Amino acid sequence: MLALDHVGKTYPNGVRALDGVTLEVAPGEIVAIVGGSGCGKSTLLRAVSGLDRPTSGTVTLDGAPITQPHEKIGIVFQEPRLLPWLSVAHNVGFGLESRPRPERNARVKAQLDRVGLTDKANVWPRELSGGQAQRVAIARAFVTRPEVLLLDEPFSALDAFTRADLQDHLLDVWADAKPTLVVVTHDVDEAVVLADRVIVMRARPGRLYEEIVTDLPRPRDRQSAAFDFAKRRVLAALDRSLDRKAVTDAGETKTSAGAALWW
Amino acid sequence: MSVEAKSTPVPSEAVPRRRADASVGLQRLALAIALPAGIAIAWELIVRAGWSDGRLMPPPSRIWQEFEELARNGELWRHMAATLLRVAVGFGVGTAAGTLLGAFAGYSSITRRLIDPSLQGLRAVPSIAWIPLFILWLGIFETSKVALIAVGVFFPVYLGVMAAILSVDRKIVEVGRVFRLSGFAMVRRILLPAVLPAYVVSLRAGLGLGWMFVIAAEFMGASEGLGYLLIDGQQLGKPAEIVAAILTFAVLGKLSDALVAAAAAPFLRWEDAFGAQHGAG
Repeated sequence: MLALDHVGKTYPNGVRALDGVTLEVAPGEIVAIVGGSGCGKSTLLRAVSGLDRPTSGTVTLDGAPITQPHEKIGIVFQEPRLLPWLSVAHNVGFGLESRPRPERNARVKAQLDRVGLTDKANVWPRELSGGQAQRVAIARAFVTRPEVLLLDEPFSALDAFTRADLQDHLLDVWADAKPTLVVVTHDVDEAVVLADRVIVMRARPGRLYEEIVTDLPRPRDRQSAAFDFAKRRVLAALDRSLDRKAVTDAGETKTSAGAALWW
Repeated sequence: MSVEAKSTPVPSEAVPRRRADASVGLQRLALAIALPAGIAIAWELIVRAGWSDGRLMPPPSRIWQEFEELARNGELWRHMAATLLRVAVGFGVGTAAGTLLGAFAGYSSITRRLIDPSLQGLRAVPSIAWIPLFILWLGIFETSKVALIAVGVFFPVYLGVMAAILSVDRKIVEVGRVFRLSGFAMVRRILLPAVLPAYVVSLRAGLGLGWMFVIAAEFMGASEGLGYLLIDGQQLGKPAEIVAAILTFAVLGKLSDALVAAAAAPFLRWEDAFGAQHGAG
């Protein structure tokens, strides 16, 4: 169980990026965090990852406090951040250095296979497309078998087609071991495709604003009415978080205008 | 699903590409030597035609004779060996010191604030200015010469290493932190490979300065070495000997630089840069 208890982050210049964020994420659950820019969603993720320390409150995983990067918590960044001097296979195996070589090779091979890049094992990262590179980054995160995987706008730099493709890839790989996923995104489609629960954040100070349960059966049909309804609810909550009060859960025409404006 | 996983099979393309590379290489070589070869031939013809006596600037044939003479009586090898040894030792010492201090200064900001201002101040001193002091301290023989070369090599290497470490991408370092690399593992697996391209550049700059300073060192009093050959040619009025020494410097400098570049190349094949694709070498 990943638990955040009144997590706050105030930067030295006085900006309150996060204030009193309390959240529990069950093992195997997928939570998406959305919100307008500057609402602290990336700050939140960095606090959970242990890369940054919150200035108040605690993050715990199965009761153990997280104050620095933890072996059971993986992270995928917005950019692939592959090491350019390592081949794709060595990039994937980067976190397995301490394992015996046969085990490492087998796990890297299996993971590359899961993201469909077996034929790219021995090329340099510079030879990959953006989508392929991000798949390698996902493989690198999953290969260490984390209990919690954090994703910080992982597909936002990709075109729409590649993005949908990678969302499917992610769910596919997730299904193997079902770690907890926390996905920060500004793409409402992405949030509803991936998440069991969508949490809308609100800025100044950054805090949790509204929670929408989106537990549609998987695989999810992006064209279905239920999917569309869930999307509208998230968009409506986003609009409310930005104080566009005219919009309600049922307000259909108005939300579509808000959808274009909220970020 | 994986539309982008398709890729052109490499082997079918590699063979013609290599042949093309070879002809491009030949063409480049021809272009590179066209200018000096043209000037040499023209000068030879001018002297042969009697338009100039070639006394101050001997024609290529006379310089070649000088080379043969120096090679036959073993002088050339003796002077070359002396100079090469000085550059090698000075380069080694300067590189070791520059790498070590540069790494400390880049890695720890306290060390940087402590040593960098002083070193930058010393860097501003023209290195030739050290000669009198080095002679007083270290005598007129090899030690003072090697010390001068080492000083010349030190600064570009120190600066290069420090700047390279300071400019390592924070995002890549964060990847190391996520995988909980210890200080040493972070250096070995992230920082070292990341600074390598810049390090090689600074080594080559340092080597170039090493060749420059060996002459200064040999001018200050030597009984052998290519710098001695230069002075000897001047004092005895033998321009062919001077030009022969200069040409030897050019060849040795270029060869040693190519050696460093070639030694580093296998470690830098991953580079994704303009030069890496267009063969800047």
